[in-house]
Amino acid sequence: MQKLGLIKAMTAAGLLISASAFAQDTIKIGLIQPLTGSVAYNGQADVAGAKQAVDERNAKGGVLGKKVELVIEDGQCKPANSVNAAEKLIQRDKVVAMVGAFCSSATAAVIPVTEKYQMPLVTGVSSEASLTQKGYKHFFRATETDALLAHTFAKIIYNNLHLKKIAYIGVNDDWGRGGVAEFSKQMGALGASNAMTEYFDHGTTDFYTLLTKLKASGADGVFVAAETQDGSILVKQIKELGLNIKVFGVGSWATSDFISLAGPAAEGIYAAVPYSATMKTPKNEAFVKTYFARNKENPGKYGAAGYNSLNIMMEAIERAKSTDAAKITSALQKTDYEGPNGHFRFMPNGQAWGFNAVLVQIRNKVPEVVMMAPIDQPQ
Amino acid sequence: MDLFLQFLANGLVQGMFYALSALGLTLIFGLMRVVNFAHGEFYMMGGLLGWYVTSRLGLDFFTGLVLVTLVMAAFGWLVDRLLIERVRHLGEEPGILLTIGLSIFLVNTAMLIVGTAPEKVAGPVGNAPLIFGPIVLTKLRLFAVGCCAAAIVAAHLLIRKTRLGRAMRATFQDPMAARLAGINTARVYASTFALGTTLAAISGMLLGSIYVVQVSVGGVVSLKAFVVVILGGMGSFAGAIVGGLVLGIAEAMWGGYLSTGLVDIVGFVIVILTLIFRPYGLFSTRAERA
Repeated sequence: MQKLGLIKAMTAAGLLISASAFAQDTIKIGLIQPLTGSVAYNGQADVAGAKQAVDERNAKGGVLGKKVELVIEDGQCKPANSVNAAEKLIQRDKVVAMVGAFCSSATAAVIPVTEKYQMPLVTGVSSEASLTQKGYKHFFRATETDALLAHTFAKIIYNNLHLKKIAYIGVNDDWGRGGVAEFSKQMGALGASNAMTEYFDHGTTDFYTLLTKLKASGADGVFVAAETQDGSILVKQIKELGLNIKVFGVGSWATSDFISLAGPAAEGIYAAVPYSATMKTPKNEAFVKTYFARNKENPGKYGAAGYNSLNIMMEAIERAKSTDAAKITSALQKTDYEGPNGHFRFMPNGQAWGFNAVLVQIRNKVPEVVMMAPIDQPQ
Repeated sequence: MDLFLQFLANGLVQGMFYALSALGLTLIFGLMRVVNFAHGEFYMMGGLLGWYVTSRLGLDFFTGLVLVTLVMAAFGWLVDRLLIERVRHLGEEPGILLTIGLSIFLVNTAMLIVGTAPEKVAGPVGNAPLIFGPIVLTKLRLFAVGCCAAAIVAAHLLIRKTRLGRAMRATFQDPMAARLAGINTARVYASTFALGTTLAAISGMLLGSIYVVQVSVGGVVSLKAFVVVILGGMGSFAGAIVGGLVLGIAEAMWGGYLSTGLVDIVGFVIVILTLIFRPYGLFSTRAERA
């Protein structure tokens, strides 16, 4: 018995040595996402998309003839933890590039670290507008900002839904407040009056008080910036209170989870999203098929974000023909990537444009695409 | 005025929910002097087990509730006998560290098993609006308020009227004398802990049918439960109910007339005011202790 244990231990040690020897021949990319905490669910979806991108790439021979290795760290969406994760990835794991860190506040804390080490950083999620306005040289955002989304959709929503008096509800953080501010500005410019503006905290479960105010405000439409958990409870309670009001939202609304959590209350809701699994492009159909086979669910906004940001990074390393940080950064600037949701290019400040966003309406438990529009190059 | 009535109704319902979810915490603290930082995680386990038995095993709500109650009572019993027992006589700090560790362990284990997705418990009654004049409620909410009241009364009767309840109170007042009188105090402690765990789990399952339940729910639940317990007085049943209702109504009014974005400030203000003016809470049971 003891002998067997010894053999096992030796085999394990042998495996470890060969694994670390093997690790020398990989290209390491760091990924910081919230794997625990209140947005863990969304962070895990991002990781699933990122892993799929890496596995697909490795199956085709990897990058620069080497396999890509994804080193994943839990930043919990907290600035301090995300900074620790970034330091660890750079110092200990010696990654050549990084993707992350989900929440805008966490990403804002990580950027000074990556700038210090001149490490290229791509985010597929953090949408707070000012991140790309501070002159960072190595930071790229492969997603929309609230302003870009509002700019693209305000007019479409205003014309299609015929709303005159709109209430705004957002989650109480940079993203929610930013979304509400941009949409109310754009909608106001088109002539819709503002009936009410209210915020709620992450993890709120009871919206009755807020919705009582909404009812009293006499709005004919409500804009909601919320994620799956909060948003699904909110629309359920809108129906429970018997409110007959048009709902349109931003956040991860066009997902199967959202629809199953909200149940019948989800029917008829509009959502402006940068990604929906029902987008009809060949790239997307292939992506959704593989994602479903791997995860037993359709990808949402965050699965696509992880997939896109890793692909953009790997293509840049391939084009740079080197793992040198400066070369990767200049290759990232020339990004010309065709993803499931369209064509990504970067502005000199690192903001992506050109990809599609969609307005969907949930009908019979499916987010049907009402309108697809490319995000214009910002002025 | 109509608006005020709806806010009041919202606050009362929410307050009952707060009271129920704080009951387990106040019980364990009051009778055992264990500050249970894993309280929110017991709530989470109740909710997730509730989801599992109703959605996966296909049981109806009440059968599921009985099953969850049994499982969580056994779990609470084991936690006490295997873990709390070891730090019982070492003062309060080791118990705090132990339950913090336990909460981290439970969250991460649950995450490994069920993942991070929010889930819902299949409710026993429908969710259609019920309209009483200016007030809108749902059947499910009324049912849940009824359940809260029933659980509170049942727990109260258990402690006040049964032999086990008398043994619990005796052990709390003077463990040595209780042992001399022939009470098996180890069993009393385990029963108390099991009861507290079960109350947390029942509220998790009940509220999981109204809202959703997810692995990370424990933090918020613990936070509100601590506010209720500090306001009401550690260990007091009446205090938990009054504390819950005060918090619920204060939040509803604040949210209704000022801003819903800052509603969590209410709980913290209440805690600070209580600690300054009535540090042992509104209904302190401190005087009862020998």
